[in-house]
Amino acid sequence: MKIIVPVKRVASLDDEFEMREDGRDVEPDFCEFDLNEFDEYSIEAAVQIKEANPDAGVEVIALTIGPEDADEVLRKALAKGADRAIRIWQDALEGSDQIAIARIIAKVVEREQPSLVLCGAQSSDHAHAETGMAVAGLVHWPHAAVITHLDYRPGAQSALVERELEGGLVERLELETPAVVTIQLGINKPRYASLRSIKQANAKPLDVLTAEELGLSEAEIGVPGSLSRVRRMFPPDRRRSEMIEGTPAQQAARLLEIIKETLH
Amino acid sequence: MALEKVMAKGKFDVLFEPIKIGPKVLKNRFYQVPHCIGAGSDRPGFQAAHRSLKAEGGWAAMNTEYCSIHPESDDTHRLSARLWDDGDVRNLSAMTKEIHKYGALAGVELWYGSSHAPCMESRETPRGPSQYASEFEALTYCHEMDQDDINRVQEFYVEAARRARDAGFDIVYCYGAHSYLPLQFLSRYYNKRTDKYGGSFENRARFWIETIEKMRKAIGSDCAIATRFAVDTLIGEEGIEIEREGVKFIELADDLVDLWDVNVGDIAEWGEDAGPSRFYRQGHQLSWQKFVKQVSKKCVLGVGRFTDPEKMLEVVRNGELDVIGAARPSISDPFLPQKIREGRLDDIRTCIGCNVCISRWEIGGPPMICTQNATAGEEFRRGWHPEKFPKRGSDDSILVVGAGPAGSECARVLLERGYVVHLVDSAEKVGGCVNDIATLPGLGEWGFHRDYREVQLGKLLKKSRDSRLALGSKPLTVDDVLQYGADKVVIATGAPWVSDGTNCLTHAPLPGLEQVHPYVLTPEDVIRGTKPIGRRVMILNADIYFMAPSLAQKLTEAGHEVTLASGVELARYMRFTLEYPNAQRMLHELHVNVMHDVWASRVEEGRIELYSIWGDGYRRQYMGPGKVPRKANATHKWYDFDTLVVVTGRRSNDTLYRGLKARQGEWAANGIKGVYVIGDAWAPKLIADATFDGHRLAREIEEQNPQEPKPYRREAAVYGSPYQPGGSYEIQYAV
Repeated sequence: MKIIVPVKRVASLDDEFEMREDGRDVEPDFCEFDLNEFDEYSIEAAVQIKEANPDAGVEVIALTIGPEDADEVLRKALAKGADRAIRIWQDALEGSDQIAIARIIAKVVEREQPSLVLCGAQSSDHAHAETGMAVAGLVHWPHAAVITHLDYRPGAQSALVERELEGGLVERLELETPAVVTIQLGINKPRYASLRSIKQANAKPLDVLTAEELGLSEAEIGVPGSLSRVRRMFPPDRRRSEMIEGTPAQQAARLLEIIKETLH
Repeated sequence: MALEKVMAKGKFDVLFEPIKIGPKVLKNRFYQVPHCIGAGSDRPGFQAAHRSLKAEGGWAAMNTEYCSIHPESDDTHRLSARLWDDGDVRNLSAMTKEIHKYGALAGVELWYGSSHAPCMESRETPRGPSQYASEFEALTYCHEMDQDDINRVQEFYVEAARRARDAGFDIVYCYGAHSYLPLQFLSRYYNKRTDKYGGSFENRARFWIETIEKMRKAIGSDCAIATRFAVDTLIGEEGIEIEREGVKFIELADDLVDLWDVNVGDIAEWGEDAGPSRFYRQGHQLSWQKFVKQVSKKCVLGVGRFTDPEKMLEVVRNGELDVIGAARPSISDPFLPQKIREGRLDDIRTCIGCNVCISRWEIGGPPMICTQNATAGEEFRRGWHPEKFPKRGSDDSILVVGAGPAGSECARVLLERGYVVHLVDSAEKVGGCVNDIATLPGLGEWGFHRDYREVQLGKLLKKSRDSRLALGSKPLTVDDVLQYGADKVVIATGAPWVSDGTNCLTHAPLPGLEQVHPYVLTPEDVIRGTKPIGRRVMILNADIYFMAPSLAQKLTEAGHEVTLASGVELARYMRFTLEYPNAQRMLHELHVNVMHDVWASRVEEGRIELYSIWGDGYRRQYMGPGKVPRKANATHKWYDFDTLVVVTGRRSNDTLYRGLKARQGEWAANGIKGVYVIGDAWAPKLIADATFDGHRLAREIEEQNPQEPKPYRREAAVYGSPYQPGGSYEIQYAV
């Protein structure tokens, strides 16, 4: 029995940053990269199912899409207890939107035939919260988004999940499996990997595939395979503070000026 | 360079403008005022390294500690610098030479203490304006000077000033703060004379003015002449008041002085100057200092534990001071100016104002230590640089258990060195005991110790892919550690307060406290609010530092009636940190009922039996085995309480270490090369010493047995080498 956990290497911004020349993203030099926080919880959820059922032969597969840099998030997933890791990349994947990404994940899902796909509810950098649900749509599987509780026994025909609704309501759903769910922060307490498991993870081979090898044409991936495009990314103009300088008399004069400007 | 850094650079430009002081120029507005370190003229390597490191870190000038001008001003047992002879000139010139390599200035604070210098080494008798007994020293009186004595002492200043110039100093002080000689002449509190050196303000100012004039004549064309002046002695009109004789003296002496170094207070309570963070925020002297610039045309500097660059900027921009004087912040972060210039504000190791540095001088001159900066005082003897670290000596991965002061410092330094480190703690936050302590009244700034490490660990972890900070995890068991996969393990599990009353007086638990009771609390219980606290609280104390008075304050302010029964001198260590006088005032003001010299024999629910520790008969007599050789103590009395707080002692939490040690045979099979213990887990100690432990182990982790510190370079007198150039070392009797 397999569980696939798609994971993402996300960017976080320095306090000060500059935009890329084309104005469509942040200059990567100003970013720090790490495993998406939501994915920490989906990895933990998968590993907990495996550990609760030691004889069920559960295999947790971490999957990511990205160039070689993205290996680090797969290593993290392996260190936390994933058994196998797959990375998909070819240059033509550059510019893929979340649906194109979902198309790739769906191909891996079709290939591996897992009982569960556990995605993070969203990525902390782009926050579309679409990829997981798009995968479910592409493979026509039952799905639930933003779940706060997961109860699944390997071999069972269904999983019990809970979602938190407005006003403190809880919705409990029974999903037929195989299914796709996206996982909310706080569903569990993600573990820290020990040095031993980090060392073992660093020694494990990673499966690296192209989208082409998964049977996807260039028209289905990258910019041609994406129906949305980033036109511009920008920090909105903020009101700026002004340091009033000079002698006390000059400062008072400037202050008066500002008050007058504001009043008019 | 990121935008923020560029902006910060421009923003603080004002602090990097040069300023002229007589024949010299300060290259910026960061100035290390004279402060003690325990080096003096006796440890030239320590002196030269500690001061020149700050020159490397961007300070414009560094001073010695107070520097005695003559054996008549000998502060032994405390350690001052000395410029008595050519031997001292040679030793102090090491400092000036090293400082000059960085284009910075070296200063020396010429000091004559009068009665405040007990002369326990020289056995000379100090002279003073009038004969008085020191309020700071025990049993020291001075000889009242006549005109010949005055001329002679002024010669001492001039001769020492010449030696200072010869040693390469750029700035030479006439030290008149902290109640030392020139101020004693100026202040009616000491000066009861009726001749031309006493009485009127002009007469009382005469000694100081003449002395500066003479120094200036001797060396004024070569060196900047500075004076450190307590512009208000905080005792009202008996002493100096800023708006009266304070500014008057500034006006009178302004033409003779190139640099004013101004502060407040006296010597007996010099914590009013070196204000601990418990009572004083940064800039706490500005209300007095700001008057000086209004009358002086010269460069004015002052201290006030300035730690925040924004505040420094404000002070200089508002014309309150020209130059930011710093002692403690320069110890905590010798690279403060450089970090400000480069916009690296979050890398500043901010002084927490605990005054543990000062405590060493007060104790009598052991090398200075710093709670924040473990390398302070270790520059020369261990070769530790606060900002530079040797590259890792192996590929060993290291597990550090416990993220308190020792563990977080150890992990930080290991990461700086390039090691893969896992720092694990069951708490949700880095900091260990500091997280508790920083919630006590007035101790918020102690949290800077945690904050610095938290920020630095965060930065370093981003650069070390396989390293982790694992907070909020289950406490690690011996099996967990064995299986963790670390090559080396560092245990830093701290030392909680005991709940059974074990103490330094009886070295045993207190009868009645063997079990945990709901009405008996440890300091952690009080701080974390884990147990209910009744109206009447009894604090039983056998600790000489701050915990008992801090808890008394916290509980009294929360509305409890507090009795503090102490078997040891309450808050004794706070005398050394200069917190004592105001801590006493605080306990008095809050009506805390303090019982001194009592200890407890037993505890029952709701009551404790106390006895006088001096109640057992003063005549000692042998009375045979099984009998104490004194009359039985019959002073026992019961006292009622609702809650008992035991501040009696701490004990290392060494369960994990002992457990691992017991299974040493399994280490190799699990890939473990060594298990080491640091900080309180080895033995309870000051935060400064726990931090040092962690730092040291991280620097020496490749050694054969890093548990044992490497020897440091000692500086001591060498037999066969006379201290005086051309002197002798053989035993010689005058017969």
